[in-house]
Amino acid sequence: MSKTSFNLLRVGMAITFLWIGIMILKSPESWGGYLQPWAAGLLPVPLKEAMIGTAILDIAIGILFLVDFMIWPAALISSIHLIVILTVSGITDITVRDIGLLTATLALMIETLPPSFVQIFKKTKPETL
Amino acid sequence: MTSLALLFTLSAIGISETVYLIKKRLAMQAPQCFIGKGCTQVLESEWSRVFIIHTDVLGLLFYIFTSSITAFLYIGIGPFLPLSMIMKLAVGLGMLLSIFFFYLQWKVIKAWCFWCLMSASTIFLMGLILLISNFF
Repeated sequence: MSKTSFNLLRVGMAITFLWIGIMILKSPESWGGYLQPWAAGLLPVPLKEAMIGTAILDIAIGILFLVDFMIWPAALISSIHLIVILTVSGITDITVRDIGLLTATLALMIETLPPSFVQIFKKTKPETL
Repeated sequence: MTSLALLFTLSAIGISETVYLIKKRLAMQAPQCFIGKGCTQVLESEWSRVFIIHTDVLGLLFYIFTSSITAFLYIGIGPFLPLSMIMKLAVGLGMLLSIFFFYLQWKVIKAWCFWCLMSASTIFLMGLILLISNFF
């Protein structure tokens, strides 16, 4: 990925996460309505508090993306976060959007993986006889 | 909601621009200059500070301020009218400063800085959104 494409994706994802966080803070209960009943029942805290926690997490991820700091951990957490959202919200009209967001955060994570981590997955040259 | 979302988006773009410039300055590296070649000339000129504050830091503070006010206005924290007034005043002041910096680049430094022009465009777009949202 070119540096310009990476930065465009990073800033775009930052704005998305920040604004979604702010939208959830405005009306946490209505956003909680997206949760499937079985998932809402698993929450250890009241739905409103859980949604406020989600909003704070979204805003924190957005800030990290925006200032280009700790992108790899932020992208990893946001990918896990989006997988959880896809699981607990079920298949709806907006599922396809979350899939798009998930692939974008995965792209950011793969692009910023630490070299030492990448080395583990690099194929070693087979030994010749 | 639309105007606040747009204002927040522009403020966030401004934050990313100014953070990039601050990082480059602290690392003593020249920023990428996509259009023209005067970025370094402008950013290292005697006009790159307002009193003792670097203009990139001033810009960052401005954008953090406007994004926070926009978020407060959207969520409904604090009184709407005074916050809205503060926002308009801040953007108005930002526009005036942008005109001054535009003049400096054009007539005094005689070089164009891509990032400074982009920041000025961001602030003018914010002003335009505020103006349009007041009428419609």
